[in-house]
Amino acid sequence: MIAVLQWTTFAVCAIVAIARIPSALRGENRSIFGVFVLATVGILLSIDASYQAIDAWLGAQNYANLILRFVIYGTVLLAGYRIAKAFDAPRSIRLITGPAGRTVLAVIGVATVVLFLLADTAGSVTGLASLPLRSPENEALIEAYAAAGRLYPAFVAACIIPATYLAVRQRLPMAIRAGALLLTIAFVAMAAGTFYTLLPSEFGVLEAAINYTSVLCLALGLALVWISSLLAKRAVRLASR
Amino acid sequence: MPLPAKAFQLWLHGVAPTASTADICRISGIKRTTLAQQLVRGKVAETTLVSISRALKRSPLEDLAWFESYSELSGAKAPTPAELVSQIATMDLLRAVISRSSPAYGGYGDAGSALTPELSPAPHATSVRNWVDAIDDGELRHRVSAATGVAPQNYSAQLTANRLSPELAVATARAAGVGFTGGLVATGLLTEREAGWAPDARQLALDALSDGDLTALAGERLQSLGKTLRRQEHEHEQTKKIWENLG
Repeated sequence: MIAVLQWTTFAVCAIVAIARIPSALRGENRSIFGVFVLATVGILLSIDASYQAIDAWLGAQNYANLILRFVIYGTVLLAGYRIAKAFDAPRSIRLITGPAGRTVLAVIGVATVVLFLLADTAGSVTGLASLPLRSPENEALIEAYAAAGRLYPAFVAACIIPATYLAVRQRLPMAIRAGALLLTIAFVAMAAGTFYTLLPSEFGVLEAAINYTSVLCLALGLALVWISSLLAKRAVRLASR
Repeated sequence: MPLPAKAFQLWLHGVAPTASTADICRISGIKRTTLAQQLVRGKVAETTLVSISRALKRSPLEDLAWFESYSELSGAKAPTPAELVSQIATMDLLRAVISRSSPAYGGYGDAGSALTPELSPAPHATSVRNWVDAIDDGELRHRVSAATGVAPQNYSAQLTANRLSPELAVATARAAGVGFTGGLVATGLLTEREAGWAPDARQLALDALSDGDLTALAGERLQSLGKTLRRQEHEHEQTKKIWENLG
């Protein structure tokens, strides 16, 4: 079930990334192209088969997971900034790129690295699933590391939800409103990540489902808006003929 | 509610006993699948009836009145002057203002009305809202909502979109105590002629307006047109910005 969701999300992100290559070469919104490339890489780094392969190559110390964290931070930052700009939300932009946002990113970034280095991470384990079992100390470190990793996406998501939610209810082209709805779902799911620590560990499958749904909605929302812009451009071209 | 299919078929048999469904569709320009679907669902749209009635060179108003839910249409009251003026397009009102102005501003002075170019036919771009505004005593929307069970915001949304179902148009006229044809013309279901309005009814109502009333009315229309245009421009800007950043 989760595997289907994982590969679907991977396929969507990879296809959109490839489809955006020509426009990226023309210099159109390279950051959105970057979002899809980073998302594709991120999913590769969280699927078991590809994680094992990449981490083995990196020395089997789970550095792949550390890279995954920063790939996620980058994706969320880029996507969040662009979306806030698109939906004309200066407050969201200020929160994300202003002193507050930079401090949050710096603190979380440092905490991520420090907690990772302090923990015992030897031996490739996808999602670091079994590492907490090694010792009570490791359990605390890995849980704090994972919580830090969820905090930044949650922060960015919380900054943008008002903007995308407002757009859903505005009188805009249907495709944009549908895209905004998908983005809102994605960000709500992302923000929900903060509360995973409160969930009992049996709900791990649910967490994964929410995470992938979030990425899938983000990708589909961005793709929908992109496709609607292409259609609008084509309509203008046809009309001017 | 749309017309019951049974009654519709009875009516159709009465007015065109020998015509087949295919014939009816061909002369009225209705798609066969559309008509078939409406008959299967048991509800025939008023527009279907009007198209067929027109094609048969009958009176759509009388044919509508044949149905129970529209029986009030027979012997309908004539529209009020305010209703008639509401069915004049904003640009025609502005033209009338200019026509009545002094020749220095391109007008004809007091003789202006007689020399104004002919009014464009009803309905116009804001016909529905202007019609409701013309008959609204301030409580009309609440009464319509109470009588029909349609939520006020849904009703307003229809007015903004310049739409109103025939059923709601009749309910609105009933709640306002005016004739039933005004709403049917404003929604475009019937033409002025089909509604039994005199060809110059709107022009006469316009001529009867004092300069002050005409100017004030044109001003109101212009203001709301300005609001609509600005909102559209804003939405357009928003859309552009979203596509620029995410496209």
